[in-house]
Amino acid sequence: MKSNNVFKIDFDVVENKIRAYEKEQAELLNIEPGQTNHWVDKNPTDFRRHQRENTTILFGGLTLMQDVFIQAASNGLGYKFIALDCPDNAAMQVGKEFGNRGQCNPTYFTVGNLVKYLIELRDKQGLSTREIIDNYIFTTAGACGPCRFGLYVTEYRKALRDAGFEGFRVVLFDSDGDLNQGGPEMGLDYNVSFFRGMFKAIILGDVINLMAYRMRPYEENKGDVNRALEKCRQLIVAKLLSNKNVIPALHESKKILDAVPLNRLQVKPKVSVIGEFWAMTTEGDGNYKLQAFLEQEGAEVDIQPVTNWTLYIIWAVMYDARQQLKLKNKWTTRLRLYKKLLLLRFARTIMLMWFNRYAKAIGLNDYHLADMDELAKDSHEFYDNELRGGEGHMEVGKLIQSVKYSKSHLVLSVKPFGCMPSSGVSDGVQALVTGKFPEAHFLAIETSGDGAVNVYSRIQMALFKAREKAQKDMDQVLSTESVERVAEYITTQKLPASWYPKHRCALTAANTVYAMRDQGLVSSH
Amino acid sequence: MNTSRFIGIDVGSTTVKCVVVDPDEMKIIWSRYERHETRQAEKLLELLTDIHQTYPDLKTNKVKAYITGSGAGPLIDVVGAGFVQEVNAVALAVESLHPDVNSIIELGGQDAKIILFKENKDSGERQIITSMNDKCASGTGATIDKCVLKVGINRDKLTTLDFDAKKIHHVAAKCGVFAETDIVNLIKSGIPASEVLCSLADAIVMQNLSVLTRGNTLTEKVLLLGGPNTYLPFLQQCWQQRIPETWRERGYQAAEGVNPEDLIIVPDNAEYYAAFGSVVFGSAELSADKTYKGVDSLAEFIKNGRKSELNAGADQGLHKEIAELDAFKENYKTPLFKPRQYPAGSVIKAYIGLDGGSTSSKAVLIDEQGELICKQYQLSKGNPIEDTKELLAALKNYALEQNCQLQVLGFGATGYAADVLEKSTRCDVNVVETVAHMMSAKISCGDDVDVICDIGGQDIKVLFLQHGQIKNFRLSNQCSAGNGMLLQSMADQFGVKVEEFSAVAFSAELSPKFSYGCAVFLDTDRVNFQKEGFSKEELFAGLARVLPKNVWQYVVQIPRMSELGRKFVLQGGTQYNLAAVKAQVDYIKERVPDAEVIVHPHCGEAGAMGAAVEARRVVEQRGYSTFIGIDETINLKVSSRTDEETRCNFCENNCSRTFIDTESPDGEISRYIAGFSCEKGTVESKEAVVTLNQKRKQLKAEFPNLVDYEANRVFRRLPADKVSNDKKCKQDVMSMSLMKTMLAVIGGTKHKAQKEQIRLMRKKVRVGIPRVLNHYTNAPFMRAYLEGLGLLSNNIVFSDQTSEEMWLEGGKYGSIDPCYPAKVSLAHVHHLLYKKHKRKALDVIWFPCITKIQSFTSEMVASTSCPVVAGTPKVVNAAFTKEKNFFKENDIAYYDRALDFTDRKLLEKQLSETWGDILQLDKDENIMACENAWLAMETVDLDLQRRGLEVLTQAEKNNTVVLLMLGRPYHNDPGLNHEILEEFQSLGYPVISIRSIPKDSGYLSRFFKDDIEKGLIKDAFDIADVWPENYSVNSVQKVWAAKFAARHPNVAVLDLSSFKCGHDAPSYGIIDQIISSSKTPYMAMHDIDANKPGGSIKIRVKTYAYTLERYQELLNERLKQTNELEKRVKKKRIELLQQHIKNFDDVLMSEDSNKWIKIDEQYQRYLQESADKRDLIQKKVVDINARDEVEVEFKRKDFNIEKENNQSALLGQQLAGSQTDNSVEVKKGANANEK
Repeated sequence: MKSNNVFKIDFDVVENKIRAYEKEQAELLNIEPGQTNHWVDKNPTDFRRHQRENTTILFGGLTLMQDVFIQAASNGLGYKFIALDCPDNAAMQVGKEFGNRGQCNPTYFTVGNLVKYLIELRDKQGLSTREIIDNYIFTTAGACGPCRFGLYVTEYRKALRDAGFEGFRVVLFDSDGDLNQGGPEMGLDYNVSFFRGMFKAIILGDVINLMAYRMRPYEENKGDVNRALEKCRQLIVAKLLSNKNVIPALHESKKILDAVPLNRLQVKPKVSVIGEFWAMTTEGDGNYKLQAFLEQEGAEVDIQPVTNWTLYIIWAVMYDARQQLKLKNKWTTRLRLYKKLLLLRFARTIMLMWFNRYAKAIGLNDYHLADMDELAKDSHEFYDNELRGGEGHMEVGKLIQSVKYSKSHLVLSVKPFGCMPSSGVSDGVQALVTGKFPEAHFLAIETSGDGAVNVYSRIQMALFKAREKAQKDMDQVLSTESVERVAEYITTQKLPASWYPKHRCALTAANTVYAMRDQGLVSSH
Repeated sequence: MNTSRFIGIDVGSTTVKCVVVDPDEMKIIWSRYERHETRQAEKLLELLTDIHQTYPDLKTNKVKAYITGSGAGPLIDVVGAGFVQEVNAVALAVESLHPDVNSIIELGGQDAKIILFKENKDSGERQIITSMNDKCASGTGATIDKCVLKVGINRDKLTTLDFDAKKIHHVAAKCGVFAETDIVNLIKSGIPASEVLCSLADAIVMQNLSVLTRGNTLTEKVLLLGGPNTYLPFLQQCWQQRIPETWRERGYQAAEGVNPEDLIIVPDNAEYYAAFGSVVFGSAELSADKTYKGVDSLAEFIKNGRKSELNAGADQGLHKEIAELDAFKENYKTPLFKPRQYPAGSVIKAYIGLDGGSTSSKAVLIDEQGELICKQYQLSKGNPIEDTKELLAALKNYALEQNCQLQVLGFGATGYAADVLEKSTRCDVNVVETVAHMMSAKISCGDDVDVICDIGGQDIKVLFLQHGQIKNFRLSNQCSAGNGMLLQSMADQFGVKVEEFSAVAFSAELSPKFSYGCAVFLDTDRVNFQKEGFSKEELFAGLARVLPKNVWQYVVQIPRMSELGRKFVLQGGTQYNLAAVKAQVDYIKERVPDAEVIVHPHCGEAGAMGAAVEARRVVEQRGYSTFIGIDETINLKVSSRTDEETRCNFCENNCSRTFIDTESPDGEISRYIAGFSCEKGTVESKEAVVTLNQKRKQLKAEFPNLVDYEANRVFRRLPADKVSNDKKCKQDVMSMSLMKTMLAVIGGTKHKAQKEQIRLMRKKVRVGIPRVLNHYTNAPFMRAYLEGLGLLSNNIVFSDQTSEEMWLEGGKYGSIDPCYPAKVSLAHVHHLLYKKHKRKALDVIWFPCITKIQSFTSEMVASTSCPVVAGTPKVVNAAFTKEKNFFKENDIAYYDRALDFTDRKLLEKQLSETWGDILQLDKDENIMACENAWLAMETVDLDLQRRGLEVLTQAEKNNTVVLLMLGRPYHNDPGLNHEILEEFQSLGYPVISIRSIPKDSGYLSRFFKDDIEKGLIKDAFDIADVWPENYSVNSVQKVWAAKFAARHPNVAVLDLSSFKCGHDAPSYGIIDQIISSSKTPYMAMHDIDANKPGGSIKIRVKTYAYTLERYQELLNERLKQTNELEKRVKKKRIELLQQHIKNFDDVLMSEDSNKWIKIDEQYQRYLQESADKRDLIQKKVVDINARDEVEVEFKRKDFNIEKENNQSALLGQQLAGSQTDNSVEVKKGANANEK
């Protein structure tokens, strides 16, 4: 069917000519090129093994003690870790300048803290932006959704980009993930040794902190406890740096702490600080130095160990796995779930074992980590255990248990302004809990970095009643005369810090007298 | 007794109170209170000196002093007083003086407190429950003070004003700034002062009752304390009216036969309660014991002590060196303006521009060339028409004083007052402030202006220009408003004239660091800094320094300022304050070193000038002016009324409206209606409403609003054939295992009667579901699930859409203050309980905690719903069961069991656990009901997408703009989106929702293909390229939709977020980056809350409408240019083809004169796959040239279509490399046809 008249033309020549003409005419007509360069978040995370030697790894965000221990443990593994200082108001201002509007203050504080550090490296230490980007990285835990905390990394990138550090690497490890993350060439080995080091550091920080908060309100000479703690810190850091067993250092620390003279007969209301994880954990401007303020106002602070948080994460994953096991899944899925449960149970046991071992070694007696199953059971009626985000049902559970076991005279729930799970849900539910348990004394406070005066005022308001309750506990114990006898005994016997009375009521002083009564030193009313 | 006297001191935010108490009788024997005018220490010294003079024998060591109040902090040690927290102090005083009081409400200058005494039923103890407002609701007393100033009512009248609940207008009392914004709007709408103040009182009372009580009932007797409660009778009356209303609602039995005035009381000498209470407390509390130091210590502190204690972290002053300051002053001194002088007897032909701002009104005259002749300024006196009359009279006088005649050629108005002036003076233009400012800046500072920053009394407006047009804009929201006013009120508080502010501020060597943000927070900071001892000079400097942070970091939120351009113009009355200008200039230049920062030569009148310029343009274009005339305006008679007759009864809101009638000298009356909340309020008769509705329907048909459609569609039942899906259910039964089927049959026979009973029972069960939160996504599922189980569709009842009325009625039970979508859920459940249930009884209220939501997006880290949204059902449960169980009382079960919509098996289990008991479910029917429900979801999705496709296709065809609402699903609720979308719909823009964007991969391929090819994303629904931490489904969907909008030329964006939305916050920056890269028109409202900020919405809508108009023009221009280009290319193509064909012309011409061009199909496909050639092919196919039609068949050798389909870029290279093969055969038409 071919025509006789077939002629050939080079179509591409025509097309090329037309294209050139079209471009020329488009420019003449002021037509913008059709293709838009759409924005892409570059998300640099590449950190390789060969860069390790020249790379400083920045991190931070837990208590001062824990940050120091993590730094030491990581450096003991051959990294160059530097813990950022506890975020202050200046960090928050930087965070606000470069962060999104409407963020909660832990975001402003922690993101601002990193950017502030880098700005200081650049402006005060004279490092070029390139050097900073090439030689520093920041690492933090990810996957903490669904509250804003899980979305922090986005904020880090935005703030870094806007502050002129585009390309700075923020490397994440998945806090819900397994113990072997990343590949063999990764600069940071998120492996068993790494996580073992991290968890040990966290637990060590917890036991030291718990000891400190138990002792400080009762020290006879102001500053003794902090001086002793500093010595303990140095001992432990030395062991962590050399990657050696810390138990001997803890035994040594116990001796140091035991030598601090205490008077546990002072009536100090006990205040449980619960709430949003970061707000209740930080010890700086992020919560108006809440713990120090409470101690200054004459209270004993019952802090929440970070280990509880880890146990909660393990509990949540186990809970979900158990729920899945109740469904009709394939046997392979079921097998995977059983394996997961077994591993988690193992991890939990190890954590508890470490905690108890360290606690015993340093003399943290009669301290019990929260029983996650019991906490979940107690709170479920008020706060569905399947609701996640932030502390989940834990806040509600802790308040209930505070009443159930007479743990404290005041439960102070601290959270950032507008905290989604805490201000937006827990506090609403606590209204019902306090209704059901009228003996609960509960105060929720929001932090925003400013307005400290108002926050302090509210706490003082609540402490008034807490003091009354504490005094009532004391009044119920024994006669004044008996208390004096106990005081005399304690002074002569020099009871060490590791001696801690068994829990009977929230007041340590009353418990001390009870303990003496049990020993037959004093008689009942 | 050792102590001879107790002194009680209360240092509040505005006053200092002192009492001397006799320790034996515990009675006040001396008292005095004074306003401290921010000099707390000095005032206390004065009072203590007075005490010592009154009691000369008073020995310091025999005195015990106790101090309380928000300002006490720095004075505790100085005075040697024991500190007592003020709420405790007040509670103790009341317990001692009024043992029969159960509730206390104290409104202070900055704080509001509620104290409740409740008996613990178990222990019999009297417990105290206290609550203070959170930081976002502070400033109550201060707010009242500021509003009283704005309203311009004198103090005497204030104390005789009575509360009138019939004349209440909407005021948001959530925070001081919100309230002020609303108050300004009411004043500018001409609402009488008394009504404005009653509305404010009502709003404050309702706010406290709904939030501060934390869901508790205020039981009698109620004590009202604090300055405002003591001195404002209308506020007392408001409490006395509203509190008993809550008693009735909650079934609380107050003492019978007693007047509310006797149950809700204001005691005498209430101002001393805190001071007295501190003594009561302190006298019993050893830890508060301190050694009283007398007056000397305080005097020393005032003289020397404070400075040394100042925060070492304070900033420097506004300048480093004097020379730098001098140079600045020289550069930025306000140019001297002299009104133009005319020879006597001249006729001054001029246009008037008037800007009715929030705090001041300005008017200008410009000549026919647009040059300024004269300007007038005055602080607003309350009524916009009166202000206008006075300003115009001043303009007229300007002419008369020169013995000249003023001939007004046109009149343009802008600002808050423009709407009312449009009606009453028939002005030529009512131009939105942003546009007026842009025009003015361009006229005065040139067309090449990049950024205009206007700081008025209330608002901050920042405009970004490109080619002399508004490219983008940012306006202060409610949380960043009131900055200009703050500087002014600060100057007032320190007794400094506002003109002298800068001189005072420049004299400071250091400045405290204010936290930037809301004006209420700034004022709180100011109080704190003052307590620390900063001087007024330093405070002024600090405030000036925080201003640019508020503008650029809080309002604009673009840290990379250099991207905005380099020519910045500062406008607005605040720029007369050189301290503010210096701070701005320093801030900008630090970030954009080569910036040119210009202050508009008439910065205060810039808006008025813009209005005049626009009036000139319009009048010249139209040829005449509509303005009633200057004399007629000056002589306008104004009357306004708000009564039952003016109330709007056209919907359930029953808005209280104000009719403002203006009568011109010729007797013509024009009416302006203020105070309505929806369009229906704009008319007066039923006929007019009918016409309005008809227009509305027409508009809806022409410009669909799919957000509104979706909001209704998801809650409607589906046609039976779509949901029941009996066939599928039967198939499911068939597919059951044999054993199971047999068991079912046996069971069926055995329990047939029982099953019939269950079926009948289910038909009777009535379920109420609140129309809130993620039910806007999953309602089709919930409805279809229940219907699938045999519930009658009429028995599945949703609460109504959110309305203000519903919120006011049902929002008072909450104990927390989260985002509005969450807290309004209380009102919805209340609505189900007390409206729907009362009409016909409900058995269950179903409000599940939805923990995870399904999503069309892919590659997500997790699929969670927001934690507040998920947990709200629990909060609602707490609120309605706390004091008493309202569910139980109404015989309703409340189901809130958690549901996970991402795991179908788990969901089935959760649903079975929810409904298993009450509906006696068996497993299989549960599964079937779930499947039905998923089908219903699919049906709704497809319907919405089909409609979305229609709208988008139509827009592409007509080259018009479509508005996409980026919001969470519940922003579809008109009660939550403040009906902003309808405003745009009425302007002729169709609106689509995220859900209605077609999700067909084929359709989306044209937008996302490039990104997939580049490996940035895995498919069209992946957003990992812009947001790897994509946990939150609703935010992720917003980001995805922003990506879609960025790639679709016809789509503009309206981004809505609720105040306190924590999940949207991280997406702001991402969406901003996506949208600004693509230059898509964009407007954001990120702080949507319960109150509808009418004024703010109006400016935004008008400004965005202006931007959209410009964008439409751009689209038209683009199309025109593209068509032109197409035409030129077509012509060129023919020329080129003809050049080739010419060689064979003889052959072609001789063999077939009827020639046409046809392109081989295969080659067409190749071209279509190649993006850069696609347009060309379309053009060629359409029509080459009727006269010169030639059929050309292109045949390509080695042409591999599949390869090209996969990688057209690679193909291009291949083609380039095989030029020799790229030949086409040109054949005769006849032969081609044969083929």
